[in-house]
Amino acid sequence: MQKEEYQVVGKPVERTDGRVKATGKARYAGDLIAPGMLYGKILRSPVAHAKILNIDTSEAKKLPGVIAVITGKDFPGIPFGTRPDTRDQTPMPITKVHHFGEGVAAVAALDEDTAEEALDLIRVEYEELPVVLTAEDALRPDAPLVNEFCSSNIAYTSDFRFGDPEAGFKEADYIREEKFSSQRVAVGFIEPHACLAEVDATGRVLLQGSKQSPYPTWRHMCRALDLPLSKMRLVTPFVGGAFSGKHDPFDVDFAAVKLAQITNRPVKIVLNYDEVLAGYRQRNAMNAVLKMGVKKNGRITALKAECILEGGPIAGIGPFNIYFFGAWLNLPYKVPAVEYHGKLVYSNRAPCGTVRGQEIVLAQYSVDSLLGIVAEDLGIDQVEIRALNAITSNYTTANGVVVDACGLSECIEKSAATIAWKESRKSRPKGRGIGFSCASHPSGVRLGGHFGSSVLLKLQEDGKVMLTHGGTEIGQGANTVFCQMAAEILGIPFEDVIQGPSDSDTAILDSGMFSDRCTYWDGNATIAAANDLKRQLAELAAKKLQAKPEDLEFKNSRVYAKDKPEKSISILDPVRTAYYDNGTPLYGKGYWAATDIDLVNWKTGSGNLAHGIDFIATAVEMDVDLKTGQASLRKGVSGDDAGQPIHPVMLEGQVNGGSAHMTGHALLEECLYDERGRMLNYSWRDYKQPTALDTPEYVVDHIHTHDPYGPFGAKGAGEASSCSTIAAIANGIYDAVGVRITDLPITPEKIIREMKKKEGK
Amino acid sequence: MFIRRLPKFEYHAPASLPEALDLLALYGADAKLLAGGTDLLLAMKKRTKTPAHVINLKSIPGLSGISGDAKGLKIGALTTMADIMRSALVKETYTPLWDAVSVMGSPQVRTLATLGGNLVSAVPSADTAPPLIVLSAQAHLTGPSGERTCPVEALFSAPSTCSLAPTDILTHITIPFPQGKGAYLKLMRRAALDLALVGVAAYFCLDANKVCTHAKIALGAVAPTPIRATASEAIIEGKVLNAALAAEAGSASGKECFPITDLRSSLEYRCSMVEVLTERALLEALKRSN
Ligand SMILES: Cc1cc2nc3c(=O)[nH]c(=O)nc-3n(C[C@H](O)[C@H](O)[C@H](O)COP(=O)(O)OP(=O)(O)OC[C@H]3O[C@@H](n4cnc5c(N)ncnc54)[C@H](O)[C@@H]3O)c2cc1C
Repeated sequence: MQKEEYQVVGKPVERTDGRVKATGKARYAGDLIAPGMLYGKILRSPVAHAKILNIDTSEAKKLPGVIAVITGKDFPGIPFGTRPDTRDQTPMPITKVHHFGEGVAAVAALDEDTAEEALDLIRVEYEELPVVLTAEDALRPDAPLVNEFCSSNIAYTSDFRFGDPEAGFKEADYIREEKFSSQRVAVGFIEPHACLAEVDATGRVLLQGSKQSPYPTWRHMCRALDLPLSKMRLVTPFVGGAFSGKHDPFDVDFAAVKLAQITNRPVKIVLNYDEVLAGYRQRNAMNAVLKMGVKKNGRITALKAECILEGGPIAGIGPFNIYFFGAWLNLPYKVPAVEYHGKLVYSNRAPCGTVRGQEIVLAQYSVDSLLGIVAEDLGIDQVEIRALNAITSNYTTANGVVVDACGLSECIEKSAATIAWKESRKSRPKGRGIGFSCASHPSGVRLGGHFGSSVLLKLQEDGKVMLTHGGTEIGQGANTVFCQMAAEILGIPFEDVIQGPSDSDTAILDSGMFSDRCTYWDGNATIAAANDLKRQLAELAAKKLQAKPEDLEFKNSRVYAKDKPEKSISILDPVRTAYYDNGTPLYGKGYWAATDIDLVNWKTGSGNLAHGIDFIATAVEMDVDLKTGQASLRKGVSGDDAGQPIHPVMLEGQVNGGSAHMTGHALLEECLYDERGRMLNYSWRDYKQPTALDTPEYVVDHIHTHDPYGPFGAKGAGEASSCSTIAAIANGIYDAVGVRITDLPITPEKIIREMKKKEGK
Repeated sequence: MFIRRLPKFEYHAPASLPEALDLLALYGADAKLLAGGTDLLLAMKKRTKTPAHVINLKSIPGLSGISGDAKGLKIGALTTMADIMRSALVKETYTPLWDAVSVMGSPQVRTLATLGGNLVSAVPSADTAPPLIVLSAQAHLTGPSGERTCPVEALFSAPSTCSLAPTDILTHITIPFPQGKGAYLKLMRRAALDLALVGVAAYFCLDANKVCTHAKIALGAVAPTPIRATASEAIIEGKVLNAALAAEAGSASGKECFPITDLRSSLEYRCSMVEVLTERALLEALKRSN
């Protein structure tokens, strides 16, 4: 199909959830009410690392209005984790607490005030243990062990070797090594964790929670609660953002279910944001050393990296993070040889998951900063060195990732032109700078054999299509693009496709919403489902049109015999035949999984991990105040190759959103801890996320490519810009004031300190 | 540790000032006055303040509003930041105050937050304090023994401690009509919704020979209370202000402040930023004077 032929795809249709959210009518988990509902609250540890000697709940239980109190001991004691070899957590702690703010007991009461009051009556005896705060602490030979399921503080390792790194460095004319570090950052969704749990007369659990990836929640919860999968149903209401902070089940979810099981009443728990900032998912802190070898002209010959991620007391999805860092040394530039040693370590800070872009963000920040340094050292133009090394179409990376369609060169060219790079080299005000960075991101990796996506379409007798899928609308616009795709294939208006509920009883849950996979994987499943439905309609219509089913075309809600446009019937015609004459339902089923790519080896990094590698080149222009060190971003420009844009306006929103999000990581945000592991800035007053006024004017140039495997040629889009933004800002600050800050966040104080050092003060 | 639901308290909505004073006399230290609630309710949710009685001042008529004449300006204690920001008179004539209000919090916060609340909360970074100090504002208080006034400069005694008696109500602020010009500059970590790392207000009059008189400089967030930078004032007093003199005054004020290192910034950075902002505030006031 040619691009011009699309009726719905590529058009900025109204989001399926736009009106209901904008008018405040969308119901989130915190809005839900069930008859007889109780309110739950969680008691949290004031210390970061301690043995739990005793928890006395007797006084709390006596408080009028309190219906139940639980602790970790009320759960079956079965550990769970992301991988079979990393099952290192229980629903609530039993023998020890691992981080400040960890939930140690939970109460269900008739109202919230009583529940809170009951928390004050629970007596916990702790025996404090020395804390492990940093990667350095964790790796000390005499370091206390953080996780009781693991006999070491090393939670996971990856060691890669691709090509011939020694030969690559030997061949290099110039080698540069540099340290980079990145701080702990919070995830930053709007809606705090919340859920409502109910248990029916047969003991079947219904959990309605603010979850990003119901599938891992379902699997982990059933395991740790010792429930068969069929005994738990997950319905996902509107979700107020997730950004990788809501994949797995938390004590919130476990406690609500356990309290509902014990009390036989629905239990709702809604956290406040202090709790979320202090005790839930953050991005890993990173310490990395990168070494890059280049030829005189700037062509990369080899890259070596050591990276340690400090990820809190659980492995969580950390093994993927540590793999991703290594994998993304191979992209978006052509690097013939790569050596990588990665370690994920436990600590007594808040547990990590990741944040938008996963740890690809950190890899791309480090690689592109180093490339910027090398270009500066060798006097090579920043745009030229990126264009020279950029990956091109039909390229296989050193670690075996096959890149099909790649528009990175055009992305670079376009972003340089839009930001007026060449002109800026002739003259610019003092303190003004422009920084570049490129990045790429997969369109959904295949982390396990069970990864797959499925879509069910129900064509009703009125000709409207009800679409249900196993993904989750978390604000990224998934529901909208699937409705667009189904409408496109069936030749009906976008409005005729209705988004169904997100319910594990009707949908086969998708592996989860991460790594830009939803549009791509579930999109392909949508196309398959729509084609399935179309085939059934064609059979019915063919008889009436006296044509072969394969010769029929669906357009404008009509079915045409190909090449005979005068011969057509309304799409309602075969629908009515099915329902009113034959008594047969019309279901379209579709599924998709990238089974032709590899299940990568996380330890060695080998394997082709994904289709649809998307690319981006970002340029950020800024002014740095020479006296205060404050950077004000003026303009952020991205040339973005997401294949065929399905919804150009939402795509732009994704690109700009990722950029705005990482502006905080680059310049402002940092989770601060005291020496005893207590977080210090767990409020929105003290934890600085960027506001709208901190973000620049954004321009997105869509570079259309056609991905051979993607739905309508589309690739994923939500995370590439988060991978390109930080280095662009770091490189821009260097361009503006000539100082290079390699430990994030780049604060005004650090800039001033380095500027003074440079001036010899 | 973490924010919680509001604790239990008894709520009062007096309809008049005498009624409010009676309630204060009755409950004394057990009571807190409520204006916009943007400081008080948070403190209660954090349990740093747990008054048994909360007395809402918003039900009392006459405590908010802005009026001005040739002698000066009167602003009711319950006037919101949003109202002040909308006042053309404040923007034109009492510009340093407008500068401060326009960079406070966010539109949502400004719609609730009151001038009186900002002063009585008395945090070192209170944005309205430095401009009111350089504009020689007076606070008007009503207590059991009647009305009295106190210079805004004398309102603050320690971090979060206002020299008001617990039985006093701040009713309004008056500012004499300024003969000169001034400016307030605020350094923040981000462009909005942030407390001052450093706040500097500067004010002076220019005589016929462009000589500075009545110079006042006040610093916020760099000492236990908002403070005057008197050594810095003395440098420009009686002189013709230019870039070099502004820089000199800047370095002097950097030595007059005594900030702390906290989560938001180090002591050293704050001191050097006092220098930068003092210099810039003086030059901005000079620009506005010409
Ligand atoms: C998100 C956010 C951002 C903020 N940003 C800023 C900022 O940028 N700059 C800044 O300076 N502040 C900021 N604040 C703090 C706060 O908004 C201000 O201090 C505000 O002016 C307080 O006024 P209020 O009316 O809300 O006071 P309240 O909370 O109602 O009262 C504060 C205190 O003053 C007392 N009080 C109030 N009125 C009177 C009166 N008439 N007489 C006697 N006592 C009285 C109360 O008893 C209480 O102790 C921010 C707060 C929030 C929540």
